Amino acid sequence: MSEKNERNERNEKNETKTLQKSFFAPLLGWKALFEKPVTIRVPKEKREAAPRYRGFHINDWEKCIGCGTCSRICPTDAITMVEVPDMKQEYGMKPQRPTIDYGRCSFCGMCVDICTTGSLQMTREYIFFSHDANDFYYAPTERGLLDKEPSEIKVGWTRDESSELLDLDRILPDAMESSERIDSFVEFVKAYSKEQAVAEAARCVECGICVDRCPQHMRIPEYIKSIWKDDLKDALKWLLKGDEEQSNLGANPLSGVCGRVCTHRCEEVCTISHRGEAVAIRWLKRYIVDNVPIEEWNDAVSFDTSKTDKKVAIVGSGPAGLSAGYFLASMGYDVNVYESMNRPGGVMRYGIPKYRLPDEALDKDIAFIEAMGVKILTGVAVGRDISFDELKNRYDAIFISTGLTLGRSTRVPGSDHPDVVQALPLLREIRDYLRGEGPEPKIAKRVVVIGGGNVAMDIARSLARLQKMKYGEVNVTLTCLERTYEEMPADLEEIEEAIEEGITINPGWGPKEVIFFPDEDKIKGLKCVKCVEVFDENKRFNPKYDESQVSYFDGDMIIEAIGQAPDYSYLPEEWKAKIQFVGPRILTNNLRQTQIPWLFAGGDIVNGPDIIHGIADGYWAARGIDEYLDSNGNVEK
Amino acid sequence: MMNSMNDASVSQELQKVFEELKSMFGSCEAVHIDARQYKLIVPSDKTLGMLTYLKSIGYSHLSIITCVDWIDEKKFELVYILFNWSNGATFLVSTFIDRDRPVFYTVKDMWPTAEYYERDVHEFFGVEFEGNENCKKPLMLELWDDLPPLRKDFDPLQYSKEHFPDRTYEKDPIHEARIIRGDIEGDIEGGEIDG
Repeated sequence: MSEKNERNERNEKNETKTLQKSFFAPLLGWKALFEKPVTIRVPKEKREAAPRYRGFHINDWEKCIGCGTCSRICPTDAITMVEVPDMKQEYGMKPQRPTIDYGRCSFCGMCVDICTTGSLQMTREYIFFSHDANDFYYAPTERGLLDKEPSEIKVGWTRDESSELLDLDRILPDAMESSERIDSFVEFVKAYSKEQAVAEAARCVECGICVDRCPQHMRIPEYIKSIWKDDLKDALKWLLKGDEEQSNLGANPLSGVCGRVCTHRCEEVCTISHRGEAVAIRWLKRYIVDNVPIEEWNDAVSFDTSKTDKKVAIVGSGPAGLSAGYFLASMGYDVNVYESMNRPGGVMRYGIPKYRLPDEALDKDIAFIEAMGVKILTGVAVGRDISFDELKNRYDAIFISTGLTLGRSTRVPGSDHPDVVQALPLLREIRDYLRGEGPEPKIAKRVVVIGGGNVAMDIARSLARLQKMKYGEVNVTLTCLERTYEEMPADLEEIEEAIEEGITINPGWGPKEVIFFPDEDKIKGLKCVKCVEVFDENKRFNPKYDESQVSYFDGDMIIEAIGQAPDYSYLPEEWKAKIQFVGPRILTNNLRQTQIPWLFAGGDIVNGPDIIHGIADGYWAARGIDEYLDSNGNVEK
Repeated sequence: MMNSMNDASVSQELQKVFEELKSMFGSCEAVHIDARQYKLIVPSDKTLGMLTYLKSIGYSHLSIITCVDWIDEKKFELVYILFNWSNGATFLVSTFIDRDRPVFYTVKDMWPTAEYYERDVHEFFGVEFEGNENCKKPLMLELWDDLPPLRKDFDPLQYSKEHFPDRTYEKDPIHEARIIRGDIEGDIEGGEIDG
């Protein structure tokens, strides 16, 4: 065969093959007619979505706190917070839940990524039909859009490290180590730097749950936002003027003080604390006050006041008294504050130790209050230097905020010895001594403190410092009825710091008697018995002891810090009889008005010991006094 | 093939590439991502040269071109992701261009698919690619009338509110949710649920 023939033959063969293939090809396709379809027959058949699918939302209503962060981050305005009727109202949550409009939602998942509690999630569900547009607007619950058993719902998109939108870790201000801070009374927590403050401010999600919790309802999200924008004058305005549209609600003339020693209930409810550490609201407040020079305060904060000819007297220059004075002055009243001590400030000056609240910080706040026109008359004790009736004659209204100035004694055998002393007078002496205005108080080498509250911590830590400065070592034992650190009324932070500073804490012991050296008028220590229960089933203070368990704590000096009581000796019986008391506290209405129309009261004698509560009392009393004097036109003197 | 090479030998190979890159393009910053992934940050005048070279030595698959808006630095970062099928290694070639004059050169003559990636980057960031005549043709966002939507200064919430006004619904979703949760009794009106 020639080459040519060969080639031809091959070509023919190939052609036959191709022909066969193309001729039968359709038949091969027909075969598929009798097989199952490979397509998915929606909606009869469902295709499982991917594990990270961003489908319909579910929201655990028990976990959700109604903070509204999902609604604020939503880039399409699809989420609206709607109030839930009859929902229980409690601190740390708002009675509202998110509703989602699937006509707007772009299923980006940012609401899930930022959800502060983790209650809002996305499922792998994605099929839903309706002819009614209303059906695409709903409030996600545990049962989802499709109203399924929660156990049958598969969760889809879940936040992970890279999609986390919250900054969960607090920026800690620089602070001295315990070994360093125990050597002096220097304020050991340093102020935030600008970088630290701005970064900490950026962690806030502006939900405002803290505002509800703060007794004075300070404008926390607003001033934090101003820090973030680095506009400290605006931040200061929020601190000192609050909400101008709501009669300055939320203003706090003692922001420098509260920025250091506030009980910061706001931080306890901070929405970030559900998954991380609360925003350091207190330290941020301090940052504002510390970083606007006092000369600039007038620029930032001014009130439009028209002077009235009414005069108000305030008894006591603690937080409530100064706050009332500030707000009354801002309304144009002539305010005189009477203070029996040599310096203004009350508990802020004489109770709280210098290492937590230095005089300069308090002085800055008070300087501005005085600049508002409040006159503080120090060293003038009402009842001693001027009678209460004299005040009544001279002024149109009186606000009393005299605080808790008397200590309580355990009254155990031996507690009448001069070396068994009360915490409050000793704290006063220590502060006077440290500012060079008094003699050195007695500093024992071994001290036993009785009490589990913040005052007990203050005196224990103050004495520890004095011991260290004088003898080079700390020997302070603290004992209290409460059986655990959690049960103790002191802040956990205080307890931790006290332990770091070398103070021994023995919770769960009740004092029995003071032990003396034989034949000597010298204290050897304190005998205690085991406390098995502090509160009874009605939650009343009613400690029970196991007398068989005994403990001895060595000390040359014993400090009692078991609570304080008010001193009403300045009030004449005539007026005292007309005031209604609840236990040791005075009962007032919402505007802090007592049963005597011209007499208002606030602070510890009305609401118990808490600075920010006292400030709120001062605010409401100022409004009450204003209302009272306004309505009375010409007040009979 | 790619799985047969272990990380160590890939890493050895990559070291060689780095050295060659250094001698050809001067210093270039290499950021380690993982054993088979490196980011190379190069000045924009050397980017095309480096892409050409990497393509010639096997990093020939252009996975995507993308962009990052560094608004505070006033820069756009262009990122070319190149993959090598023979060793499974990836280079992210990154370069920074002026955000106020966002123009770069096309690579569609090296990779025809780049035409679409460049259109995508143009549409979402506003970067122009000289030489790509289709660059400004809409790809997904037809009739777009606002800032490119992945620029940091684009406000999606405002856009959403302006273009899609709120509608009112004739129902109380919270009331419905409380019935669904069993908090209160009642009937839910409205469409059948689930398909």
